[in-house]
Amino acid sequence: MDPKPTADENSDEIIDEIADLERRLAAAKAKLARPTTIDNAANSLAAESPPPPPPIPNSNSSATHFLLLLADSALPLGSFAFSSGLESYLAHSKAFPPLPSSTNSVSNGSFAAFLPVSVTSYASTTLPFVLAAHRDASSSAFVSGSGPRLARLAALDDALDATIVCTVGRRASVAQGRALLSIWERSFAGTVPAAGAAEALKPFVALLKSSSSSSSSLSRELPPPVSAHLAPLFGAICQLVGLSLEQTAYVFMLGHVKALVSAAVRAGMFGPYQAQKTLAGGTVQGLIAAMIEREWGTPVEMAGQRVPVMDLWFGRHEVLYSRIFNS
Amino acid sequence: MESPFPKSSSAPGEGRVVAKLQPEGGSALEALAYQYPLKLISPSRPADSTKSVLVFLLSYGGGLVGGDSVSLAVDVRPGARLSMVTQGHTKVFAPATNTPNLVTRQTMRAHLAPAAALCLLPDPVQPFAASVYEQTQVFRLAPDASLCLLDWVTQGRSARGEDWSFARWTGRNEVWAVSENNERLLVRDAVILDGAQPPSPPHMMPTLRESMHAMGVVGTLILRGPLVKALADFFLAEFAALPRLGSRDFRSDSDARRDAADEPVSDLEKWRRARLLTERTTRLLWSAANVRGCVVVKFGAPAVEAGRLWVGAMLAREGSVARVFGDHALMCVR
Repeated sequence: MDPKPTADENSDEIIDEIADLERRLAAAKAKLARPTTIDNAANSLAAESPPPPPPIPNSNSSATHFLLLLADSALPLGSFAFSSGLESYLAHSKAFPPLPSSTNSVSNGSFAAFLPVSVTSYASTTLPFVLAAHRDASSSAFVSGSGPRLARLAALDDALDATIVCTVGRRASVAQGRALLSIWERSFAGTVPAAGAAEALKPFVALLKSSSSSSSSLSRELPPPVSAHLAPLFGAICQLVGLSLEQTAYVFMLGHVKALVSAAVRAGMFGPYQAQKTLAGGTVQGLIAAMIEREWGTPVEMAGQRVPVMDLWFGRHEVLYSRIFNS
Repeated sequence: MESPFPKSSSAPGEGRVVAKLQPEGGSALEALAYQYPLKLISPSRPADSTKSVLVFLLSYGGGLVGGDSVSLAVDVRPGARLSMVTQGHTKVFAPATNTPNLVTRQTMRAHLAPAAALCLLPDPVQPFAASVYEQTQVFRLAPDASLCLLDWVTQGRSARGEDWSFARWTGRNEVWAVSENNERLLVRDAVILDGAQPPSPPHMMPTLRESMHAMGVVGTLILRGPLVKALADFFLAEFAALPRLGSRDFRSDSDARRDAADEPVSDLEKWRRARLLTERTTRLLWSAANVRGCVVVKFGAPAVEAGRLWVGAMLAREGSVARVFGDHALMCVR
């Protein structure tokens, strides 16, 4: 046999082996190189556009920070104790089931029917007071002196007190308003960057304390000058921490919806996933936006109840046999 | 000194009522003036004139046409008592089709002097389909003045299928406490019934009819002052005595019957049981609350007559209105 082909065969094998070794070497090199490349890429990205460090203190980021605090369910307003008429609505739907002839969707005792009715009622009765308090607080009169500032916030509070014609609703509004005022005094006031903000509500607090301690000396049958309802204080405090009017209105209405949904969960109407689905849904977003648009220009004198039966459900919460909520 | 003659009121729809206390006791009219479309009538020899003077609030043709504006000023002098009633529902007609947004207005401004009393128990307002109505009533009460005010609205002409079919109805009632150097808003009860819905995706917002929750009439009764204090307390007590919703009777039927037979039942309790049964069968809902020295009663019922009978029964049972103002003050709620 000719040795050449053998040598050819041998060299072929060697060539194959070399190729194989080279391939493995390249793969090993690539393995070794990969992290290096990524590090390089990251380094080059960072080198290209380093984010400018935010100026501290930053009024914008502070407002965002307070927006998140005020929107937080953990804000100790005690909202979980109130169902805003939902509990009473359920009891009435059970005691007075809709007549067979009725095609009325609101009568059916479902949360889906109650939610928009509650939101429209809450917006038409309280949102104008939130907006007015925010606008007053941002006007020059508020900043310049405590006299007019106090007078306007107190007047809004007093006017709202005259508008809530039911014991249960008044109790719920005042309980949450006083809780918010305590949060402001004990937790927020000292940390708000805006100049003068820390002192802004002191006269109101003083008036509230003096009126609750010596109500008898003022007049024998007139109500105390201030009660500390939620809506006007919410508007004023949101302005003080730097929230815009739109943000304030949105957080206020969203807070109502969140409290309703949480009440529904606690009342066993649905579970937490359905609750989040409701909150995330387009219906809630659309509702809130529509309400803010509707009440944007409503003067507080024109605020009113759009769902008369809501007053009945609210007022008759007191005649429920068993209650897990305060409203 | 006030002129003894009726003051001329120049603008259409304006009116003025002044009631005074007569030297020999009893109330009389000091002035009564009105202009089309408002009409005021006081019966010349009312049977109960010793208790209060009666004025009928009327309108030509029995209703208000689209665009009508009625403005009434009422003065009740110290110690005087005035009752105001209507003759049938206050109908609110729709405006002409070429002016669909024309508002029909009714305004009342009443001033009650010290120890004066006003009783306003009219028929309900009945807004027809497509009507646009605004009602504002402002009552300014001096110390010790008394007010009994009923404001109610119906679904419209139910016989013609109307069911909250109007374009818009707003009612605002304000009660102010006034003294020489001070005035204070006590109650502002405002109801906005708007047929127009905000522009939102369909089926998101309930229609006005849906949000009325099958009620055919809703109303508000506001009470303040020494002469109606007993009545106000009566409403609060009856509200507190309502049976608890959702409570259960765990006794057996025979036990319950035996207990009921043993239990001595007062007249009031008998009346209350009958009334509660009627409330249940007519699906009437009501609540009462003390709001800054006024008692505000809210009620609603699927049938207008059920609402009328309920208010009438409550007022008649307690008796203050008949005692203070005379039976004629109650003619619209019987």
